[in-house]
Formats: sequence, C-alpha cells, structure tokens
Amino acid sequence: MIRFILADLRRLWAGAAVVVLLVTLATALGVTVTLQERALRLGSARAADKFDLVIGVAGSETQLVLSSIFLQPAPLPLMPGEVLAKLSKDPRVAWVAPVGFGDSFAGYPLVGTTRALVGSTVSGFAEGRMFEKEGEALVGAAVKLPVGAEIKPMHGTAQMGGETHAGVVYQVTGKLPPTGTPWDRAILVPIQAVWHVHGLGHDHGHEEEEEQHHEGEVAASGGHDADHDDHGAVDADAPIDENFTADAPGLPAVLVKPKTIADAYKLRQEYRNGNTLAVFPGEVLTSLYATLGDAKMVLSAVAAGSQGLVAAALVLVTVTHIGQRRRQIGALRAFGAPRLSVFAIVWLELFLLVALGIGLGFLTGLAAARLIADAFTARSGIILPVGFTGEDWRMALILLGASAVLSAVPAILAYRQSPAAALRA
Amino acid sequence: MLSLHLDSLGKSFPGLGSPVLLVDFLAITAGERVAVTGGSGSGKSTFINVITGLERPTSGKVVWSGEDITRLSETARDRWRAEHVGLVMQDFHLFPGLSAVENVLLPARLARVADRALIARAHDLLESVGLSRPDQKIETMSRGEMQRVAIARAVLRKPGVIVADEPTASLDVEAGETVGRLLLDMAAEAKSMLIVVSHDQRLIDRLDRRITLSAGRIVADDLREEVAA
Ligand SMILES: Nc1ncnc2c1ncn2[C@@H]1O[C@H](COP(=O)(O)OP(=O)(O)O)[C@@H](O)[C@H]1O
Ligand SMILES: [Mg+2]
Repeated sequence: MIRFILADLRRLWAGAAVVVLLVTLATALGVTVTLQERALRLGSARAADKFDLVIGVAGSETQLVLSSIFLQPAPLPLMPGEVLAKLSKDPRVAWVAPVGFGDSFAGYPLVGTTRALVGSTVSGFAEGRMFEKEGEALVGAAVKLPVGAEIKPMHGTAQMGGETHAGVVYQVTGKLPPTGTPWDRAILVPIQAVWHVHGLGHDHGHEEEEEQHHEGEVAASGGHDADHDDHGAVDADAPIDENFTADAPGLPAVLVKPKTIADAYKLRQEYRNGNTLAVFPGEVLTSLYATLGDAKMVLSAVAAGSQGLVAAALVLVTVTHIGQRRRQIGALRAFGAPRLSVFAIVWLELFLLVALGIGLGFLTGLAAARLIADAFTARSGIILPVGFTGEDWRMALILLGASAVLSAVPAILAYRQSPAAALRA
Repeated sequence: MLSLHLDSLGKSFPGLGSPVLLVDFLAITAGERVAVTGGSGSGKSTFINVITGLERPTSGKVVWSGEDITRLSETARDRWRAEHVGLVMQDFHLFPGLSAVENVLLPARLARVADRALIARAHDLLESVGLSRPDQKIETMSRGEMQRVAIARAVLRKPGVIVADEPTASLDVEAGETVGRLLLDMAAEAKSMLIVVSHDQRLIDRLDRRITLSAGRIVADDLREEVAA
C-alpha cells in the first residue's frame, strides 16, 4: 500500500509539493508567532530579574523600566540626589546604585553607575578589571571594543544628531561576562564621571540649580568657551567616590536591591509618594505582556485564518482530485481491493503530505523565530530563548489530529464511491 | 467451478422510463465460454456490472453456485468478487508509476492475500502472456502489452469466472487477436467460466455461446453449433 501511495505521489509530485509547501507556510506562521512572543516574554523577564526595584521621578512606569533596565534611550527627568543618599543608609537596602544615561559611543549606550552594581550583578570579569578612576570604563560582553580602547562619548546618539563631548576620553579597563541583557551592549562608566561631563557635582553649592545648571556649570568648570552643548570636564585620574551624600547631583533612576521581599514591598510603598516612583520591573513587564498578548492574539488570529484557508483549499483540491481519480479508485475495488484499503490509501496519502507540512512548518517556524531573535539580540542585547515547550507539542498533536480528520473527508468520498459508476466515468 | 443463474432480473436507473436490463431467466454452466453482443447502449456493461456484483439490480436474483449475491452487503460483494471474478475492462485500469508485476499484484496486496506463492504466480503469468520484463513501468508499455498485464491481474487468484468488457475494442487487430487468444487460454487453464462482451467477430466465433442484447433484453441466445449450422 505504501508503495502504491509513493508511486502515486511521485507521479503527482508537483501538486504534492505545493500541498506540503502551503501547509508548511501556514504552520510556520503560527509557530513563529507563538515562539517569538514567548521568547520575548522570557527574555525580557530574564533581563529584568536582576533588578528588584527601580526608583525614578514620578511619571511613566513603562518609560522608567525601559530606560533603566532595557537601556532604551529616552530623556528622563532627574530626581534629587538626596534620594540616593537616603537609600544608601536605609537598613532594608542590600545595595543601591544610581544609573545615569544620555551619552553614547559607536552606537553603544553609556551608563553611569557604581562598582556596587557591577559587583552585585555579574560575577567576575571576562577580561581586565573594575573601573577605579573617573576616566575608566567597563564594556559589556557584546561591545566590540578591546580592553585599553579609548571612548569619546557623544551626547545623545549619533542618529539623534548628537555631538561629541570635547575633551572627554574614557579608557576601557575591563570587559564583563555575557548576561543576555541589554547591559551586554552598554559601556559602564562611573556615575561621577557622567555628572562631571555634564557639569554637575563639581561644586557642592550648585545642587539647587539642577534645572538651570548651565550657569552653574560654566562657573564651576572655569569656562569652556568652545563647548556647544555641555559644559564639563572629567578628571581622568580622580578617584571614584561612591559615598553619596544628600547633595549628590540629580539622577534619572536608581536601582535598589532590598534585603527581603517584605522590604521590597515596603520600599516600593514608601517611594511612591508623588515625587518619586518605585516599581518592580516584573510588574511593569506584566502589563507590557498584556499588550504583547493582544498583539499576539491578532497575529495568531491571522495565522489561524491562514491555516483555515489552507485547510479549506486542501479539502477543495483533494475533493476535486478524488473526483478526477474516481476511475482509478473505483477500479481498485472492482479488481478486488477491499473498501477499507481504498479509504486508507486516500486518507494516508493526504495525511502524509499534511503531516509532513506540519513537521516542516514547525522546523521553519523555529528557524524563523531563531533568526528574528538573533536580529533582536544583536540590536538590543536581550537574549530571547526560542524553543519548543509541551504547549507546542500539544499544538502539534492538535494540528495532526485536525489534519487526520480533514484527510478523512476525501477518504470517505472515495469509500462511498460506487465502483460501477467509477468504471463508467 | 462456478455456475450462474439469473432470475427475473431487472435494472432501472432513476429518471429513465424503461429498465436498462430485463432478464427473466438465464443459466450459464461452469466453464462455459459466452460472448455477449449488442448495439451501443443495449445494456451489455450493465449486464456485466450486475452479474459481477458491481451494481445491485433493481429486482431479481443473481445466483452464483447457489449463492444469491444481490443479498450480500457491499463489502461482502467486494470480497466475493475479489475471490471469484477476474475482470478485464476496455480501458485496462492499470496504475501508472507501478511496474507490470506490481500492477498484477496490487489488488491482492491491498486485500492482504499476496503470499509468496501468489507473487511467484504473478511472475509466471506475466511470462505466459508473453511479457519478459515484469519490472517495466506500466506507462512505458504499448496498449496491447497493457491489456496483457490486465489479463494476468484478472486470473491471478484463479477466479471461477473471467469477465471481459470489450477487451479488444481499443486495440489494433493483431494485439486484439493475442488478447482474445490469451483470454481463452487462461480460462481453459483455470477451467473458468468466460464471459466476453465484444463486437470482434473472430473472438465471438471462438466462444461456445453467443447472447445478443437489445434494449436490455436478450433477443438471441445461440450455441456455436447452431451458428455453424
Ligand atoms: N448510472 C446510469 N444512470 C443512468 N443511465 C445509465 C447509467 N448507466 C447506464 N445507463 C444507461 O443504460 C443503458 C445501457 O448502458 P450500458 O450497459 O453501458 O450499454 P452498453 O455497454 O451496451 O453500451 C444506456 O442507455 C445508458 O445510457
Ligand atoms: Mg459498455
């Protein structure tokens, strides 16, 4: 029987190939959507799970998380430096680290932070050592710069038409191990340097003037006439001071590691007070996932629609095909083949094609999702874990079951075909 | 050995005024060789379909050696036909993509009766119908060769009756001649009854009996001696 089916398929290979291709594409579409959405959820959750609590200026929770954890460039308002000082002394806090952004180099975001954050979130260095001086920098695993390279930061990003900070140069002293997060694409510098580049924190008398720091900076840094944009200088050899006092300059966000879960909830409560906003990244992601889920639903509906269309087209094609093969099939019975084997032949022939298409569709979907995930990782640094789970196998079984039923339609037609009528046709 | 009895047989199709086939009584003895003739549309194919169980008559009995096949279920009739009837049709109904011997064995394989002995017989049969390449693909054969493969398929399971519906109509004279001779030889070898629908006078002349149909009724039923007389 198998030989007969194979001979038949070989004869009709073009049509068979089209059937397989259609099923493959329709299946792959659905599989890609599912895998990609799940990978995006898992990947972003993993990227965020090192950071328990983020505190910033009251505003958009989503923006705060996107900027501070996913390092998406966006101007965040600054919050007073005293928040950092207060948290540093809080007994419920294991560590707290400021993050300052806005500059970039060669497309990589520069993030001002502390040794505490680096030390607590990664274990060891892939190469080199921690920054010790104001003019030193660390690079993430995905940054294509060697230890010892020089970094001339640019205000904003090149696409946004940023300008290079004159006279500011960092030296790379170490490379971090990969984390699968956007921080792999970041250049980490001491927060103190970021402040100084932007003319903040030189003179402790100016912290009241954060909003209009231009005057203060010019005075404090002793006149950089040629500077277009920013007004500050880094003293590359200055030691790093990470004892933050209440008069530290303003900050877009701080990352906090509370000691216990209870502490986390209390801190979150306390710092949601009108001026500041404290969020659990996971919580913000959950609401983002809801949006993602909606998008997935739309795409899944599109995929399901295309699968339905393919299924309908298949039934149409095979029913026509069976019609054309009435003579053949009727003849089989006339010459002594049992009715059931006629059913089995037609059923198997279609089912084999559809099952092959589904199998290839899953593989194609996986490959497509991997490609998309890789492109995404290259751009964002977030590693998206693409892979099948039990849910997918269940889906595959459901699809196979449906195609088994679908294949039975022409098989039943063939089964009911009268051999005499078939011979006459 | 099979014998056939038809009793008050009628076959009508919905929408047709008069029945397509009406046979009050007909008996064909085991091993008899019968030609069925008649004009186009006279009911010859319907006759064949009804006596082989491919179609159920509207009324009457088709009794093969005591068994009325009109009372069998469709599946049982299929099984009965597979065991007792060897069919040869005008249009061969062979399956492209398969070789000659695979075609001979296909129905038996699908019915799961193709044991080693039957496979050996398939090869022998192909040889005795004059085909020396059992693995030749069917679509590369001439029409005459194809009909010979069809004959080998029909007699594979040593059926009690060989039924051929215009087996030579689509062949040239020479190939038709061969096919006619093979049908007679095969029927003789298996001591089968042979029923051949044909317009081929030379083939008809070699059979024992000639039944002529017109508008579904038997209008003549002659033994060869009488024809010769
Ligand atoms: N399935 C059918 N429905 C209606 N009429 C049919 C059907 N099959 C055969 N007929 C009619 O029955 C008559 C006899 O047909 P057939 O037995 O094929 O004749 P023959 O084989 O002698 O040419 C014809 O008039 C044909 O049109
Ligand atoms: Mg006919």
